Amino acid sequence: MKKRIISAVLCCTAMLLLTGTPVLSVEYPDIGPLPERKAPNPKAVELGKRLFFDARLSGDAGLSCATCHNSEQGFTKHTDDKGQPMQLSDAYPGSKHWRNAPTMLNVVYKGKSFGWDGRLDDLDDMLRDMITDSMNMNMDMQLLQERLKQDTNVVALTKDAYGDKNMGTSQKGEMTHYVARNAIVQFLETLTSKNVPFDKGQLSPKAKEGMALFKGKAGCIQCHNGAYFSDVKPHNSGVPENPEVFKDAQRHFTYVAYMMFMGVDDRLNWRRDVGYYTISKDRQDVGKFVTPTLRELKYTGPYMHNGVFGTLDEVIEFYNSGGGEDRPGLKSPLLKPLNLTAGEKDALKEFLLSLSGDPIKFDMPKGGKIEYQPLPNWREVRN
Amino acid sequence: MKRYGYMKLLVGLPLIAAVVFSAGYAVAEKSAGQVRPLSALPDYPPIPTDNASGKNVFPSKMDEKQELGDLLFFDPKVSGDTGIACSDCHDPKQGWGFNDPISRGYPGVVHWRNSQTAVNSGYLNKLFWEGGTTSLEAQAPVAGLGALSGNGSPDMIESRLTFTPEYVKRFREVYATLPTIDKVWEAMSAFERYLSQPDTPFDRYMKGDKKAISESAVRGKALFEGKARCIECHNGPMMTDEKFYDVGVPDPSEFEESGMQQVTVRYQLYTKGSAEEIYRTSKSDPGIYFKQKRLEDRGKFRTAPLRYLKYTGPYMHNGTLFTLEEVVDFYNDGGGVDRWGNKTKILKPLKLTDQEKADMVQFLESTTGEEIRLPVPKVPDYAPMADWQPRK
Repeated sequence: MKKRIISAVLCCTAMLLLTGTPVLSVEYPDIGPLPERKAPNPKAVELGKRLFFDARLSGDAGLSCATCHNSEQGFTKHTDDKGQPMQLSDAYPGSKHWRNAPTMLNVVYKGKSFGWDGRLDDLDDMLRDMITDSMNMNMDMQLLQERLKQDTNVVALTKDAYGDKNMGTSQKGEMTHYVARNAIVQFLETLTSKNVPFDKGQLSPKAKEGMALFKGKAGCIQCHNGAYFSDVKPHNSGVPENPEVFKDAQRHFTYVAYMMFMGVDDRLNWRRDVGYYTISKDRQDVGKFVTPTLRELKYTGPYMHNGVFGTLDEVIEFYNSGGGEDRPGLKSPLLKPLNLTAGEKDALKEFLLSLSGDPIKFDMPKGGKIEYQPLPNWREVRN
Repeated sequence: MKRYGYMKLLVGLPLIAAVVFSAGYAVAEKSAGQVRPLSALPDYPPIPTDNASGKNVFPSKMDEKQELGDLLFFDPKVSGDTGIACSDCHDPKQGWGFNDPISRGYPGVVHWRNSQTAVNSGYLNKLFWEGGTTSLEAQAPVAGLGALSGNGSPDMIESRLTFTPEYVKRFREVYATLPTIDKVWEAMSAFERYLSQPDTPFDRYMKGDKKAISESAVRGKALFEGKARCIECHNGPMMTDEKFYDVGVPDPSEFEESGMQQVTVRYQLYTKGSAEEIYRTSKSDPGIYFKQKRLEDRGKFRTAPLRYLKYTGPYMHNGTLFTLEEVVDFYNDGGGVDRWGNKTKILKPLKLTDQEKADMVQFLESTTGEEIRLPVPKVPDYAPMADWQPRK
């Protein structure tokens, strides 16, 4: 790790010497429009959409995926039910989350290191953990499939979409938790940017100026690169702690429970979100979080892993001052004060906003009250 | 055990006759020597050496560990969504059980069996209707973490208790540690041992007080040990041999009528582990089939103890019999339907008269003392750790 950082620094220095201006883009995968992905099976999408909004996927049937990844709020959540701004996510009843819910928009492009701390590299695995984690949905996968098998509409949709497949079962077209997760992933495939000015090459002059800064003077591209606008690697940019995590016992113990689950043995001593350290158990990784995408920022505030910044202006100001502070050796050496002028900051913001497309709109699945109807001919039908 | 030898012989002799009389294969099912006589409960249940606690039982004062267990037993922090405590299905007002045929479950689900009383559970060697765990310390986590009951997770429960100053204080006093999940189950078990009732009219009668139970109950006891043959399975001080039988208890109507119940039935068949064909076709609770997946075990459950009955109806593993009168009638008819071909051959129609049935009920009620009621403890609150400072 250290070696890589040193070589990156050396590279930058060498280039500065050669060109006199920091042109960094050659080193990093260039930004660009999102590539086409294979179209998901529309029937599976229909099922997945229904399940995304289905509270039967949680232990006490109290919340669905959409509770924290709200379709009206950029598939994250910035405003609570009383209209108050939120920094930190909801969680399973009896716990409170200590991080900001990441958006589901374009998440299929991330490809690996899902979650702020990059805990899992497979979307299906991540979904499994979100459904079964005690602070998220606290659900038993086998109970999940039996609940869904009680719903004749879900059973029919499953037969329709997966009639030629048997996933985790001997029966083709049978609802299982494998099917449920697969369908939700198929639905996530549809949550991708549409009509993005940047992707269509429709940048205003000011946004173009912002793009030049992004690639050059501001150096954003060092981490926010590629079509997804993220290197999908963990970095420590010194984001200040969100005091609510430690002032609210429920948030703090939820965080402690997570560290316990992840096998962090000094979990009671930390008074900060250790981020990637939870995964690597390497002290150098304390405070690192996986670079988030910059797409759809218009809809996906608040920003940072703990939602401490409510606006893009705050985020730009934060990086303009070289990021936050941390103990020596922890903060990324990539961050330096940028000395951007007010106009440059404005241009950068305009560019960032040009990475957002049309709001995602779709017909909500018909659902309503959760009811379990007894199956007709219960004694005769096979389970 | 030794002191029962003489009585065993006396009881054993007529039993051998009965067994040989009824059918030859019954010998394979149980031998006469296994039938222990009825007896009074010891003054307190066995206390494991690795979970020492006082020998206090209700109504004497609890020791510190039992008090901690009492608090935890009533605290919904020991569940998934802090919505349910042990005491919700083992409710002091409902005989430390639950008075619906099928127990309530975790929010969003229903159970599929009747909730058993916590009273006298410390005297049992096999817990749950399948008798699958052999100590209270092993039983508590199954209930506390199971998806149909507490749905808790150890990391979350431990963390919650660590952020509850009252628990930090009490665990330090009792265990000299911060709260840990194993100690949670241990303290609860110590508390459950406190919920013992060794001084019922029946126990006093067995200890020589011949006036402790009514004449009708004395006649009922004779029937219990004689004509009705209950003692073949319901023997010893807890009135259970802790062995497994199919007595043909019918399915509860909920299985047909409730969608949520059907979810649970399938879930249990799946998650407890069944051969696929059993999962696909079972519409009843196959009992201890889950333990060894033997078809000949389907429909068998551990013999229920017969204490504290006055407060613990409805009866049987799925609560389908509402009163002791119904239970006596059920056995008077020779038990229920032989659904699996596994029904015990011990059961035969008993041809009890109405008076005899009434005497039986009187006797069964004599194993219940005063209702055990305790003040419900106030659940302690969380508090943040006091030492947080912004990072420099």
